[in-house]
Amino acid sequence: MSNVAQSAALELNGSQNLKKWGGWILGVGIWFLPLLWTDLTTYLVLTVAGITMGMLLFLTASGFTIILGLMDVINLAHGAFFAWGAYTGFTALTLLNKYGWVETGSLGQSVGSILICLVLALAIGWVLGVILEWLLIRRTYGSHLKQILITMGAALVMAEIITIFWGPNDEVVQTPAAFTGSIDVFDVIVEKFRLLAILVGGAVFIAMNWVLHKTKLGIIVRGGVENGEVVQTLGHNIRRIFTYVFAAGAALAAMGGTMWSIYTQEIRPDMGEENLIFALIVVVIGGMGSVTGCFLASLMVGLAFNYVAFSAPTLALGVNIMIMAVILLLRPSGLMGRD
Amino acid sequence: MSIPTTAFTPVEMLRQQEAAARYTRPALWLQLAILALFILEPWAISSFRVMDVAAKVMIFTVLVASYDLLLGYTGIFSLAHAMFFGMGAYSLALITHHAGGPAWWHLPLAGLVALVLAVLVSLLVAFFSLRLKALFFVVMTLALAQFADILSLQWHSFTGGEDGVSFKLPGVLAVDWSGGSLAGVPLNGRLLSYYVVLIVAVLLFMGLVRFVRSPAGRVLKSIRDNEQRATALGYKTFNYQILSNVFSAAVAALCGVLYAMWVRFVDPESAMSTAIMLNILLMLIIGGMGTLYGAIVGTAFIFIAESWLADGLNAVKSYLPDLLILQRLADRWILYFGILFILVVIFFPKGLVGTARDMAARRKKRSAVE
Repeated sequence: MSNVAQSAALELNGSQNLKKWGGWILGVGIWFLPLLWTDLTTYLVLTVAGITMGMLLFLTASGFTIILGLMDVINLAHGAFFAWGAYTGFTALTLLNKYGWVETGSLGQSVGSILICLVLALAIGWVLGVILEWLLIRRTYGSHLKQILITMGAALVMAEIITIFWGPNDEVVQTPAAFTGSIDVFDVIVEKFRLLAILVGGAVFIAMNWVLHKTKLGIIVRGGVENGEVVQTLGHNIRRIFTYVFAAGAALAAMGGTMWSIYTQEIRPDMGEENLIFALIVVVIGGMGSVTGCFLASLMVGLAFNYVAFSAPTLALGVNIMIMAVILLLRPSGLMGRD
Repeated sequence: MSIPTTAFTPVEMLRQQEAAARYTRPALWLQLAILALFILEPWAISSFRVMDVAAKVMIFTVLVASYDLLLGYTGIFSLAHAMFFGMGAYSLALITHHAGGPAWWHLPLAGLVALVLAVLVSLLVAFFSLRLKALFFVVMTLALAQFADILSLQWHSFTGGEDGVSFKLPGVLAVDWSGGSLAGVPLNGRLLSYYVVLIVAVLLFMGLVRFVRSPAGRVLKSIRDNEQRATALGYKTFNYQILSNVFSAAVAALCGVLYAMWVRFVDPESAMSTAIMLNILLMLIIGGMGTLYGAIVGTAFIFIAESWLADGLNAVKSYLPDLLILQRLADRWILYFGILFILVVIFFPKGLVGTARDMAARRKKRSAVE
């Protein structure tokens, strides 16, 4: 008798293990699927490109997810911050190029110009974020419908202001000299700027985790995500923190825009819209308000996009929509989201 | 004590009141006047531009009203309504384009294809994301709409890409057909197309009004106001939401067919793009959500403003040719639409018709008190 029970228990354990590990094996293994139609070198190049795109997406999407998690605000103007950041970076690079810093500079000047771009983009994003929060978002707390409508209008206005200042055409963005060209690692060609982008994305991820988990502000923000009213009763001005968090999200998006524009070397006034859609997909896959989930989802979306875009560029967005649909079926609150 | 069997439920009593006042309401005469305006328009003003605007206003009125069914009556925020519209437009354009010369069966076939496509896609979207939080539905529809836009732009061999598809219609609807004149107005393909648009649009609009007033429509409103209560009352809210979603998508697709029939040219920018979606939203908000008739007001306002504003700005531009910033300011009339969008949402959230109805209701209350 006991033998039977034991073996049944073992079997149960085994099937649970299978479920647990099967999920992992499937989840990891699916990323090797593209090897069926590409050779190894191409696959590795695409993987690097995918991770780069994922890191850049993370910059935009992480701000969105924090704003959504803490403030319960759906901010469709997030893509506009992205575009503003890109144009800020473009202007700074064009100016610096006049002093010979960009196209023909030393390593120090290249790093300097990128730093200047990023700082300027963060500043512009912060200022615009504060303005938008003060002017519009404040009036819409609690009503998703109003938020969506008002931020759509704001996105429209911000994109139009870009066209008024910078003109409606595509512009070419210069990459600083030290980050042009590529390194050859066993026939796998890795562009230098991609490495920088991965570095920046990873640094932001670590920094965000540090701020959220090790500082007092982070504790307040995380508490606000759980329950804003309780945080308020503990004597913290949650409204002011809302403004800061919104501005920080906007600044991150602007920084993502700058990095993105240097990476793709072109900017358009409507570039924010397209990026916003990917950021939204990332947020939904990752789960609202979760930075780690957002990070994983960014990588997923970036990788899937690049693998598919290599052979069928038209379908790249479609595949991401499919991934989103499947994840929503399996885990309705996203990878790391809470119900 | 037993309840008398002849008692009416509150809903039935409301219906009876409505039925008794059916022919004495001022709104009825307003509706008939608007209808007469559209019927007589070709005879009153012999300008093609005005006729074009009138036809587009009719088509977009139905489109916006069908979106109102979704957003204003059911409380579902979708950003894929322009996609369904584009599906309809493209199904007529592609069938006539790829099937050789113009033939009559193209029109019903296009209508059928548009309906089937819209129903299938909207069902799929609803099943995947309607059960979840509102944001998921927004994201899903936004991404799908973008995907459709990319497809129509980049699948060049099938959709003609950015250049779009232009096509011809058969028989009396053809542009070069003409059959004399009636009371000074030439009877030609344009005029007949106008009346086809008019008839179909009025039928669709009446269908929408009927749907909203039906028992199912009342359930939809109750879901919008309080979903938990509707569930507690025993309604399967998910099924009703799907019904609303599918119905409005189907109407939007038919609007697309109508639009393609009127313009005879379809390209991504005029049928699929986010700009169309923004236009629909703006028209709905200006007219008023949850009013259905607001669609007429909002659509007319936007179309008239669009043609008038562009003219006015061009005039300003020609007076001051030296200021580059001003030139660009004059070119970007979308900017003013964006500002209008924000202002209306903040200061005028019920729209023109909604505010007018509120005022009328208040006056009625006041006179009842006196």
